Amino acid sequence: MIKTVDLEKIFVGRGQEVRAVDGITSHIKPGEVVVVIGPSGSGKSTYLRCLNGLEMLTGGHVHIDGVDLANRKTDMNKVRAEVGMVFQQFNLFPHKTVLENLVLAQMKVRKRGRKEAEEKGRALLEKVGIPEKEANYPSQLSGGQQQRVAIARALAMDPKVMLFDEPTSALDPEMVGEVLEVMKQLAREGMTMVVVTHEMGFAREVADRVLFMDYGKLVEEGTPEHFFTEPKEERAKLFLRQVL
Amino acid sequence: MNTNSKNWLWWLLTALVLICMVVALWAATKRIDYTWRWNRIPQYFAYQNVEIQKVPFTGTVAQIDKKGESTTITIEGENSETATFVVDTETVNLEVDFYLMTGDTVGSTSEWKAGPLAVGLWVTIYISAIASVIALIIGVVTGLCRVSRNLTLRQLSITYIEIIRGTPLLVQLFIFYFFLGTVLDIGRIASGVGALSLFAGAYVAEIIRAGIQSIPKGQMEAARSLGMNSAQAMVYIILPQAFKRTLPPLAGQFISLIKDSSLVSVIAITDLTKSGREVIASTFSVFEVWFVVAFLYLILTFTLSQVVAWFERRLAVSD
Repeated sequence: MIKTVDLEKIFVGRGQEVRAVDGITSHIKPGEVVVVIGPSGSGKSTYLRCLNGLEMLTGGHVHIDGVDLANRKTDMNKVRAEVGMVFQQFNLFPHKTVLENLVLAQMKVRKRGRKEAEEKGRALLEKVGIPEKEANYPSQLSGGQQQRVAIARALAMDPKVMLFDEPTSALDPEMVGEVLEVMKQLAREGMTMVVVTHEMGFAREVADRVLFMDYGKLVEEGTPEHFFTEPKEERAKLFLRQVL
Repeated sequence: MNTNSKNWLWWLLTALVLICMVVALWAATKRIDYTWRWNRIPQYFAYQNVEIQKVPFTGTVAQIDKKGESTTITIEGENSETATFVVDTETVNLEVDFYLMTGDTVGSTSEWKAGPLAVGLWVTIYISAIASVIALIIGVVTGLCRVSRNLTLRQLSITYIEIIRGTPLLVQLFIFYFFLGTVLDIGRIASGVGALSLFAGAYVAEIIRAGIQSIPKGQMEAARSLGMNSAQAMVYIILPQAFKRTLPPLAGQFISLIKDSSLVSVIAITDLTKSGREVIASTFSVFEVWFVVAFLYLILTFTLSQVVAWFERRLAVSD
């Protein structure tokens, strides 16, 4: 589904070079739920953003369903339509109603008719548990509701993969649960998911595999049981001591 | 503490200060023996134009056909030529078989015509409206070029903005009229509208750029992550939000444009300002005319700012 080979992303600013992602090779299989964890600044968000081309690769390859993002001829817009993304800051379109948020890309990118797009949008709002808010504007919703709308918006495109970039980090604690619940449901339905998160409970419960990153490198990789109980690497042990 | 209950006192003070200023102005004009002739002003908005109809040949009145306000009169000439006139009934002083010589009056028609002030006001509205629309188009395109990834587009737009902002509008009007007007053979209205829209466009471009840059990066990323291309993201996501945020400064710019349009009178476009000067030339009512002209500009700009305020309230529903 997603293969990365020697993925590299280097930021250059003020003469300084930051190797945000430094040679990551990974393979995410269809239906798999992969949780990426690591200390802040370890490059996990950048890694995720490379997977749908929001960051231009400095080196290496990302293959999504066999399409190479590093190839200049690849139509990134087509790739991105197949890869849903959920952001830490929700990034809903504030000038559009909830339903319009879900409908817009379906009509403009998938070329669906309004009726079909609205039906799909309503069904997804039902699924994430806020069908009554379709006519509201994002600013009238709580953080948890906004993030659920954002998930629904990404799902409306029928993506093959869903990327989550710290989806609960900007939420008040009491709203984390409702968003995680939606994500768990998605995982049960067999959606391929890559999740960057600090929610260790979620990682333990839902993940098929955990990737631990530090300083842009993939330090440790394994099942949740393995990672949370008997990590091999010293850095992973240190990290777990700090967060658990 | 309880400022609200004392508000009316401040209202009163404001009114008092304004009244004092008006009284002072009135007293000052009294001192120089200026004779106010406000009654002369209305005729320059609209007047009744009387057209006298005269017989082109010698003959007799053959028929008078009264139909309410207007009357049709047929005259038969000595060489059996005929002529018919339609004139206002109340001006007819003839009866059938009256003998008329060449040049005699049959009657007259009168109609209301717009005076120079009304025509000038219309020209100002029309020039400002066209220039505003063009300025908005130029501004949006240039603003987009300004934030483009393409270096040439960026440099070209900066050059345009710097040149326009760095030179006086009056000079630009002259260049447009005398240089471009001659070289490209365009008329004075086109020159005036062109100079005004290029001038305002540069400022609009900077406003639009600031608006685009004020939208959080996440909006563009969210749009792109849904598979929209950069043009779609701009049109559906970024520009509507930027437009909403830039509405107040844009309104200020277009109000400036209306006022700046008074400068086109230097290239002999008969706008409100030039009409005012023409009216002064025939009435010598300098004070009255300039006050009226100022008031008319004020009506235009106030209307515009009210329309924009209404627009802002409508867009505020998503806040």
